[in-house]
Amino acid sequence: MAKSKIEEYSKIIRPQNFDEIMMLAERVRGRRIKMVNATAIGGGVAEILTRVIPLFNELGIKTKWEVIKGSGEFFGVTKALHNALHNNKAEITEQMLNIFNETTKTNIAEMIFDEDVVIIHDPQPAGLIAAKEKSKAKWVWRCHIDTSHPQPDAWNFIKGFVEKYDASIFSTPWFAKVLPIPQYFIYPAIDPLAEKNRELSAHEINTVLQKYKVDRSRPIITQISRFDYLKDPLGVIETYKLVKKHIDCQLVLAGGGATDDPEGGQVLSEVQEAAKGDPDIHILLLPPFADLEINALQRASTVVLQKSLREGFGLTVTEALWKAKPVVASAVGGITLQVIHNFTGMLVHSVEGAAYQTRYLINNPQIAKKLGEYGREHVREKFLITRKIRNYLLLLIALDNPGRDVIQL
Amino acid sequence: MRAKEPFKFHTSSQLVEITGRKAANLKEFLEIIKEINDSSIFYHVHHAFREHQFAPGHYTNDFAHWIGEELSENALAERLANINIKDYLEIQSLRQKIAEIIENHLKANPGNSNLTAKHKFYFCKNIGVVQKTKYIAWELEEFCDMLNRVGLRSLFFHFFEARLRLGRKTNDFSDWIIHNFHNAALARQIEALDPYLYTMDQLRDQIISLICGKKEDFFGRLLKWLKAR
Repeated sequence: MAKSKIEEYSKIIRPQNFDEIMMLAERVRGRRIKMVNATAIGGGVAEILTRVIPLFNELGIKTKWEVIKGSGEFFGVTKALHNALHNNKAEITEQMLNIFNETTKTNIAEMIFDEDVVIIHDPQPAGLIAAKEKSKAKWVWRCHIDTSHPQPDAWNFIKGFVEKYDASIFSTPWFAKVLPIPQYFIYPAIDPLAEKNRELSAHEINTVLQKYKVDRSRPIITQISRFDYLKDPLGVIETYKLVKKHIDCQLVLAGGGATDDPEGGQVLSEVQEAAKGDPDIHILLLPPFADLEINALQRASTVVLQKSLREGFGLTVTEALWKAKPVVASAVGGITLQVIHNFTGMLVHSVEGAAYQTRYLINNPQIAKKLGEYGREHVREKFLITRKIRNYLLLLIALDNPGRDVIQL
Repeated sequence: MRAKEPFKFHTSSQLVEITGRKAANLKEFLEIIKEINDSSIFYHVHHAFREHQFAPGHYTNDFAHWIGEELSENALAERLANINIKDYLEIQSLRQKIAEIIENHLKANPGNSNLTAKHKFYFCKNIGVVQKTKYIAWELEEFCDMLNRVGLRSLFFHFFEARLRLGRKTNDFSDWIIHNFHNAALARQIEALDPYLYTMDQLRDQIISLICGKKEDFFGRLLKWLKAR
C-alpha cells in the first residue's frame, strides 16, 4: 500500500488539530532524527516506525531508522531482560549481560550518530548511549514496555544506561521510574490509514474470512497478538471454552512472530495442543505484513479480546477500538488508558470475567455497539498517529528549552 | 463596530512530563499537593477538560477522580470536584483550597489518612507550547467566525489557561470585549458560563451564541471550515 500523505489525516482528525500540527512542524523543520530499535518487522514498535517516519520526513524532519544487529543468543538475552522487566521470572546471569554489552559494542562500531536527536526504542538497543560522548545529539530513550514492577536486577542493569540519556518517554505515568532525567508521557498510536486499520469493503472482509474458513453466520471472538505467554493465549482458549458452553461461537487466535522473540514457536505449539479437536478454534500464524488479514479479522469479530497478563500499551486494543468493536480486555498496563470500563469497553481480571463479559456483549448487541462507538472516538482523540506526531514535535521543542514549563514560540 | 485592538487567537499544545512524585494514600497525597510545582496542579485540574472532548467525564479533575475511584472517599471526591477553577486567579490559592478541603476531611475522619489505594496517584505536569495562530478578529461577527475556525486548544488557552497560568483576571474573550466594545454585560455573561456543564465544543457554541446570537453545531462548523479551505 502506498505511503499516506500527511494531508490525508486532516479528513480523519479535526482539521484545526491538523493545522496546529503543521504550525508546530514549521518550528522544527530541518531537524535530523535517528530512530533505533531491535526489529524491522513484527511487533508494535516496528509497525509504528514504518508509518511515522515517512510522515516526519514529509513534515521536513529528516528522520532515519536503523535496526541493531544481534545473534540468536543476544535476542535470547534481550527476551529474558524483557520478561524480567515485566516482572516475570527470568534468570539474568553475568554471562548474559556480557553478551548484551558485547553486541552493543559491535553495533556502536557500525553506526554513526551525527543527527540532532537520537531516539532509542526499548531496552535492546539502550546500551547505544555509550556513543553519546562522541555525538552532539540529544539522546532520548523511548520505553514501550510495562516497567511498573520490574525485577530489580534487570531494571538496575537497564537504568545504568537510561540515566545517561537527556530524556525518556513512557507510555503511562505508572511505568515511569525514579530517574535523574525528564520523563515524558506519550501514548503509542495507530495509523488509521495503514493497511491494518483502513476501511475495508464487505468483499475484502469476506474474502479473508473465507480464506481462513471462519463462519460469519456465528459469533466470532478474536484475539490478535503475538504467540507470547504474556498475551495469555491459553487463557484466551479457556475463556472461549467457557463462552462456548452457552453460545455457539468461534475463536480466532491470530498473530505473527517477531525476529526478536525466540519463545514464539514454543508458545504456538502449546496453543495448538490446547485447541486440538475443536474445529471452531482457528489458530492462525500470520506472516509478516498480513495487515489486510488482521484488519478483516478484527472487523468481522463480534467481540475482540485482549487477555494479556502484562502489556506495554496494547496497540491491538487500539486497533479494535478504532474499528468500533466491543473490546473485553485485561486491566493491565496501558490497556486501562484505552478501555474505560463500561464506557469504551469492558475491563476484566480473570478468565471467568473475560468469559462473562464476552457472553454479555454477544447477547446485548446494542450495548456492544455503543461501547464500540465511544471507543472509536476515544481513539480519535488520543491514540492516532497524528497525536503522536504532535507530541514528538513538542518533544523536539522541549529539548531545546529545558526546564521551561511555558514556551512561547 | 471595530475594535481598537484586534483579538489575536493563540493556541497551546501540551507535552506531559511525569514528575516522579506519587501518592498511595491521602496523607502522602496532601503532602505532595502542598509542595508540587504549579504546573502539576494546573495539569491535574484541567486535564479532564482538555482530554475528554466527546463526552464530559464523571469527575471534573484528576484529584477528585483518584480519591473517588481509588480510595472510595466519595464525599471528599465530590467536594474536590465542586471546586470551580474559574474562582481562582492563581495556582497558589487553588492549591490552598484543595489542601484545606483534604485537611478538613482528615480532621473529621482521622482514620482515613492511611487508607491505601490500589493504584497510586502519579503527579504529572505539562509543558505548554504557546503559538500565535493566523486568526485575528476586529469585529464581533468576525470574532465568532474565527472562534469557529480555531481548534479547541485555542479555546482552552483563552478561556482557562490565560487566566490561571498567566494570571489574567478573566478569560481573554471577556477581557477583549470589555476593553474594545465596553459591553460589560456580555463580558460578564461569557465569564459566567459554567464549563463543567459542557464539552469544549458545547462551550464554544455557548460563547458564539452569546456574542452573535446564533448557535451552530459541530457538524455545521466542520462544513463551514471545509468550505473555507
